[in-house]
Amino acid sequence: MGEVLEIVLRSLVVSGTATLLASIWSIALAYLLVRSPRASRPLIPLLEGMVGIPTVLIGLLLYLLLSRQGPLGMLRLLYSPQAIVIGQAILITPLITSVAYRVLSHSWNIYGELTLSLGAAEGQAAKIVISESLPGVAAAVVMGFSRALGELGVALMVGGNIKGYTRVMTTAIALEVSKGEFELAMSLGIILLLMLAMISLTLRFLGRLRE
Amino acid sequence: MNGIELREVWFRYPGSREWTLRGVSLEIRRGEVLALVGPNGSGKTTILKLAGGLYRPSRGKVKFWRSNIWEVNGSRRLELRRMVVYVHERPILLRGTALDNIAFAPLLRGMPREEAVRRAEELLSDTESAYLSRKDRREMSAGEAQVVSILRAVAASPRILLLDEPTAHLDREKRGVMTGLIGKLRSEGMGIAIATHDHLLALRTADRVAVVENGVIGSIGRPSEVLDFFKIY
Repeated sequence: MGEVLEIVLRSLVVSGTATLLASIWSIALAYLLVRSPRASRPLIPLLEGMVGIPTVLIGLLLYLLLSRQGPLGMLRLLYSPQAIVIGQAILITPLITSVAYRVLSHSWNIYGELTLSLGAAEGQAAKIVISESLPGVAAAVVMGFSRALGELGVALMVGGNIKGYTRVMTTAIALEVSKGEFELAMSLGIILLLMLAMISLTLRFLGRLRE
Repeated sequence: MNGIELREVWFRYPGSREWTLRGVSLEIRRGEVLALVGPNGSGKTTILKLAGGLYRPSRGKVKFWRSNIWEVNGSRRLELRRMVVYVHERPILLRGTALDNIAFAPLLRGMPREEAVRRAEELLSDTESAYLSRKDRREMSAGEAQVVSILRAVAASPRILLLDEPTAHLDREKRGVMTGLIGKLRSEGMGIAIATHDHLLALRTADRVAVVENGVIGSIGRPSEVLDFFKIY
């Protein structure tokens, strides 16, 4: 049970950190794109296309970058939790950005124009628009977390599934199944499912708040 | 020019091939009420949004007190924009009560909170709407929300007020109150432009009426001079 708890906690910390990092730049990027229609016209379809990018592809690219002979090899990050955090943050950036863009864009059309017409400076308008879109932006973040928590490719390729160090729920499930040890895989699978269900409920709750 | 001037303004929405406005020239002066009348889709709202500095003209100039709003630097533009407030046809309220919403506009311009709240309370009371003060936006009817959004704009103390269909959701009693408020603001020196289908409001309050048709100003003059329009519609 101790090992399961450790794996669950590590998964939450790694995916949580990745989500936090990705949220910071993704929400800022989404807002900038809302305010720059010229940039958003080509970039948003591109980001939306990248939402479904295979996790193994990100894993492979990051592996090439972080491996000893790679351009970032000197950082010695390969097979570390930090590498998984970076990979997952990259993986969920298009998802959070494109969902936050839709939410902020809708909100800007309503509240941005309103606050500007009332004499708001750009910064004041941004504050109001983001505050009015909080449930929607939070939903984008929760979706990102859900994707990070459930991905396997990045965690396996740049994390290495090292016991007590980089093993997370998805890599542990894959390993246990390959060994024919279904008991641990099943318990982890159930925990993962429960977590994703909780995330889904949170999304529904946030959706209701938006209404 | 003590107010806003649109000079030979052409405008089309991004992605559209059709011109929404074609060479509109118009002045909105302090101390007078200008009513924009015309059928749906004629360009009345677009004119108001251009006059509010919310849309950039595709061609032509929009001048606020002789300064082209789109040629001045950011801080000057903000200073000029703060002289004008546009009120949407569909009332948009921020989170909170009527009082929070009305106090928001002066707060945005740096007024101390106590003073802003006092101003909001005064406006609600002057328009027989004090009962709304603690009402949350989710509990308000469309008419109540419209009253609050107009009062919020007034609380910002603009020199020019742009009202888009200000009586669209109001009952007869509230229309009377709003007509009175418009007259009072004009007498205090505020310039007001109203886009409206409410011909009674236009006839009662306007010093000048501009008839907008297919993106051009068909005619402009005193209400009595454009009476033909009111007969047709």
